[in-house]
Amino acid sequence: MKRRPKRHAIDFYLFFAVICLLVIGVLMVFSASSVSAYNQYNNAYYFFQRQIIWAVLGIIIMLTVSGIDYYRFKNLAFSGYILGLLCLVAVLAAGKTINGAKSWILLGPMSFQPSELAKPLVVLELARILSQKQKKIRSLREGLGPPLVSLGVVCGLIMLQPDLGTTMVLLLTGFTMLFVARARFIHLSLLAGAGAVVAAFLMTMKSYRLERLQTFIDPWRDPLGSGYQIVQSLYAIGSGGLFGLGLGQSKQKYLWLPEEHNDFIFAVIGEELGFIGAAGVLLLYALLAGRGLQVARKAPDTFGRLLAAGLTSMILVEAIINLAVVTGSMPVTGVTLPFISYGGSSLLFKLLGMGILLNVSRHTVDEEKPVQRELGL
Amino acid sequence: MYTTSVEMRKRITILLTLISMVLLLLMSRLAYLQFVKGNELTDKAIDNRLREVPVEARRGTIYDRNGKELAVSISSEAVAAEPRRVTDPEGTAAKLAPVLGMDKEVIKKLLTKKTGFVWIKRKVEDAKIKQLKQMESSKEGELAGIRFIPESSRYYPNDNLAAHVLGFATRTDAIGAGGIEGAMDKELKGIAGKIVSERDAAGREIPNGESKYIAPIEGKSLVLSIDETIQHFAERELDNIVQKYQPKHTAIIVMDPKTGEILALANRPDYNPNKYWEFDQQTWRNFGVSDSYEPGSTFKVITAAAALEEGAVRPGDHFYDPGYKEVLGKKIKCWKAGGHGAQTFVQVAENSCNPGFITVGLALGVDKFTQYLQAFGFGKQTEIELPGEATGILVNPKKATLLDLATMSIGQSNAVTSIQLVTAVAAVANDGVLMRPQLVREIRDVNGNVQQIQPKQVRQVISKSTARELRGILENVITNGTGINAYLEGYRAAGKTGTAQKAGPTGGYQQGKYVASFVGFAPADNPKIAALVVIDEPQGAVYYGGQIAAPAFKAVVGDALKYLGVPPQLTQSDVKDKTEQPKAQRIVPQLINLPLGEAQNTLFQEKLTWSTEGQGKVVLGQFPLPGAEVAEGTKVTIYLGQSAQGIPADSEVTVPSVIGKTLREAAAMLALTGLKMEPDGSGVAESQNIPPRTKVKAGTVVKVKFVPPTKPPDNPALAPEGGGAEGHEGP
Repeated sequence: MKRRPKRHAIDFYLFFAVICLLVIGVLMVFSASSVSAYNQYNNAYYFFQRQIIWAVLGIIIMLTVSGIDYYRFKNLAFSGYILGLLCLVAVLAAGKTINGAKSWILLGPMSFQPSELAKPLVVLELARILSQKQKKIRSLREGLGPPLVSLGVVCGLIMLQPDLGTTMVLLLTGFTMLFVARARFIHLSLLAGAGAVVAAFLMTMKSYRLERLQTFIDPWRDPLGSGYQIVQSLYAIGSGGLFGLGLGQSKQKYLWLPEEHNDFIFAVIGEELGFIGAAGVLLLYALLAGRGLQVARKAPDTFGRLLAAGLTSMILVEAIINLAVVTGSMPVTGVTLPFISYGGSSLLFKLLGMGILLNVSRHTVDEEKPVQRELGL
Repeated sequence: MYTTSVEMRKRITILLTLISMVLLLLMSRLAYLQFVKGNELTDKAIDNRLREVPVEARRGTIYDRNGKELAVSISSEAVAAEPRRVTDPEGTAAKLAPVLGMDKEVIKKLLTKKTGFVWIKRKVEDAKIKQLKQMESSKEGELAGIRFIPESSRYYPNDNLAAHVLGFATRTDAIGAGGIEGAMDKELKGIAGKIVSERDAAGREIPNGESKYIAPIEGKSLVLSIDETIQHFAERELDNIVQKYQPKHTAIIVMDPKTGEILALANRPDYNPNKYWEFDQQTWRNFGVSDSYEPGSTFKVITAAAALEEGAVRPGDHFYDPGYKEVLGKKIKCWKAGGHGAQTFVQVAENSCNPGFITVGLALGVDKFTQYLQAFGFGKQTEIELPGEATGILVNPKKATLLDLATMSIGQSNAVTSIQLVTAVAAVANDGVLMRPQLVREIRDVNGNVQQIQPKQVRQVISKSTARELRGILENVITNGTGINAYLEGYRAAGKTGTAQKAGPTGGYQQGKYVASFVGFAPADNPKIAALVVIDEPQGAVYYGGQIAAPAFKAVVGDALKYLGVPPQLTQSDVKDKTEQPKAQRIVPQLINLPLGEAQNTLFQEKLTWSTEGQGKVVLGQFPLPGAEVAEGTKVTIYLGQSAQGIPADSEVTVPSVIGKTLREAAAMLALTGLKMEPDGSGVAESQNIPPRTKVKAGTVVKVKFVPPTKPPDNPALAPEGGGAEGHEGP
């Protein structure tokens, strides 16, 4: 066992970015959801109140976890992964179908989304496997085989719900981790090619997915049908201009925009806060990416490095897919905007992941020093 | 582990670069949407949220001339849906279906349409709307997405009364169709307003959203010239006619001859504009305005007017009717077999004598006659404010033969509309001034501005003196002639009967299909009312205009005059003389040589009864003899047998003037009159040895001297072949 460097303070910018996104999220959930909350529950604060509770709980979890040394999780990673699998099996057996997908387990008044739990657990497990297989990483069977099997099983279970969005997030996150873990480019290319083939196959298998693709190419083809969501989203963003209509002033949230506090919350941000606000959110994600990957670079060991890179990728992949969908840059896929969209499970488990990332940030070492030392300069 | 960590760091850097690039692309996309496409998307977004709810303009009221409501708008509501907002199409459809009386599946289909707005049912009665609204308020969200939209529907308080004058407003969109509703739709409908406001997807207004109300402009109201009471008289008589004779069509038009204002216009078959959709579309047709027919003897008024004005005939001129008139080798029969014998022109009119009118028409000539037809307004629309007016058909004067002229002068060959005929006859009543038939007196807008429509004189067709002369003659038709059944106690009425055999679709005339009519006006010396009764294809044995149309004329005009407070003119004793005496005493008509049916009709008309002896279709003898005075209802015995018509060889005829005619024309004219010609020379006639209007025996030879023409003859050479002039003309 290597001698561990002494812990220092968490990465403040990373923490700052997460908190900023959370604050914006809570505010925007309130603004965006007030109309539909009033309509549905006769209480404009319905989603706002819940989101605040989740955010506070999440911050507590994040800060707590940031105090637990990340390498302690290495031995727990496999057990965690099994727990995740069990939850995913449970949801298929006893889950509730919402919007055509069996993604939720109801626990009394609470609901729990196992796929949200699975995301950080899969990252943890992949980081463990990949760090242990570093020497065989160039071998397809011995190096890449085990992590791909772990990833494949989870993705397979999630696709049974079916939840294409989460599967995509997991696959892309896993792919970036393989990339960071020095998988051979030829293998990565093969994987990407296989992914493309599978994607094409899935696309033709379900007619609604093909329709989504057509709608992506021309949303106004059927603005009241399949193009409805994206058209309403573009209306909202386009109405924002530079400064936006002002906080709370969205018109599209008046039941025009579907999932306005959820998948399409960024459209409300664009409408109310304008380019300034929307670009600000993008910059916060950029800051999170920069600092998270910086943590990965400076992580003292391979496990920490892969863990930091994986957790950061997990957030960024999800954010980018969501932003691309909402701005009409890719076909509609049900993915939320991390830290901003409404949702307890999503928030809690992402903040759990951020807690781990923040803990890694406490162990970073100046990356130049070990290099110089090893080179003897 | 150097290479491991360096390679990893390198790859992390690549990853960060990739992520940054993607974020940058997304930011560009954002900028493109918000700056480049910003305005376009904003406009589209507002458009998408704006809901235009039309606010119907109240349709103007239609009043009769005394301010009685003939058509009003009452408010009702429409049931509509915003399908996107409908949460439970199945359940909602199930709830709506029984109340609206619609099929559940039909409603469900509407509710699941991919559209923002859809009508389910328009103009729903108040009670049903109440029921639905109660349903909606009892359990929340029960009828999510269902909207109630106020609109107005048209109501005709008198149901069928004046249906063809009024037309109707369609029940869904209140578009005027037929009648005044159609003709004056632009004035009546007003301008729809709207509420434009930004709405949420459930159709509720967005707080602080844009909103605009554009008020509707109420339609203008119309005051018609129709008098509801007189219209009632006309409708009542039509009901009588329908009950007695079951005609294909029948119409009564009542006009104020001085202004051309239509006081009543009614047709059968008719319909109820309150539920027009339950009636066959044929019943919507305004027979009196949209259909033309060969008028028959009523048209002799026009022939007489033209001839008197042109001096082609004088009231005292003598005629001889042998029972037919031969024109270009064709015999045109008089309605009365055996003819009327010697008569003055006044008697010719009283008797509606065909040979007499043919003689007059021939004397007038095609060009002059056509000129008067056009001056009286035939052959073109009268410009009454009703849609679908027919023009009628006039024989082309350039192609008209003498035979055409002959038939035209007794009301055949030309087709006219009822409105044209009553308007033309009203011109006789109005001292020769033709008026435009007028239905709309006033147009009132919602601010109280009143636009009066002034009566329009079209032209002076005949002189005042000719008009008055003709009025006297037409008065005699009623007091002494075929129009006796139109005799109005206490009023001097003038008029003319008509019975025309209908032309078939392939030419020629149809057996047993007649148009019976009566046209006239009263009082004769100062006409207040002109009216026409037309009965198309009456069923049964009785079909003469004098028998079936005249009584209706009498009833409508008599009631109208009393209603209008026109004082009776004749003293009680006059009335007794004119009414009771002829009623009590009847002159036995000449029946010999008449076909049985016609003899029976003649007797019926004279209010006499009959019994028959022998076998056959023609009357060979009768008792009492013609001319005997008998009491009304006396039985006349008629002896039947098979016989050809007798031709009285020594009857008296009036010599016509042939001066200026070509040889062929002169020969034809003399032949028509029953005379023979001995020509001398060639060209045009210069002199004749027996002066015009001399009475001579039929068959007398007239010597005519012809000289070469100084100018080409007016009339082109007569075509030798005759037209289908076998028409049977009655009084």
